Amino acid sequence: MFLPFMMGHHFGVPFHKELQKKIIRAALSRITDATESGDIYLFPMTWAQARREGKELESERGS
Amino acid sequence: MAISEQGKELRPGLWETVNERYPGSMITKTDLVPLAKLSKPLCEARLAFVSTAGVQPKGTLPFDTVHPVGDYSFRRVPSASKPADLEIHQLKYPTFGAKRDLNVIFPIERLRDLVTEKFIGSLTENFFSFIGYNMDPERLERNLAEEIAAAVEAENPDVALLAPA
Repeated sequence: MFLPFMMGHHFGVPFHKELQKKIIRAALSRITDATESGDIYLFPMTWAQARREGKELESERGS
Repeated sequence: MAISEQGKELRPGLWETVNERYPGSMITKTDLVPLAKLSKPLCEARLAFVSTAGVQPKGTLPFDTVHPVGDYSFRRVPSASKPADLEIHQLKYPTFGAKRDLNVIFPIERLRDLVTEKFIGSLTENFFSFIGYNMDPERLERNLAEEIAAAVEAENPDVALLAPA
């Protein structure tokens, strides 16, 4: 699975637990969904979207 | 969704560019491992996590992050570790996110959450970490990869999640 995220952030942004778990679930879904070895799956989210959600979460947390 | 043919680069031509700058650092694999099917549902499976993030328990020998050709060793990271008990020795990726929440690069707490949620059956006692800056891919494959594979196998996992940093 390929994520178009910044290096060092392949499981998302800080404190965004749901996104972090969503990425793991998507990666593990390849076990059943991949049709051949070497398949590449593009995670359907941009880095900008991930950062935006992270900022909103942190804003809600008051940090 | 498969977005490339088997074994093809996501960005054709990029590897040649990297190889011009770091000769021999990029290799093409044509003998891909056959696709394996999980023998049991994921909710019953034991998972091992392998990462190039350079995460290690505090007090263990730090990775040699300044060696010109890299460090070909790995560390065991107990899957029950608290993030506060771990540290990162790696210079080749931004760690500003991981320093605030280690789970962005080494999702040890999220994997435990997914066990609690019964999405994953269980975790191996140890996870595994090494540094991704290794400029000799043949040595990486011949030594480090073989050693990690043996160590992972010894933990009796059903599935392994591999993640770069």
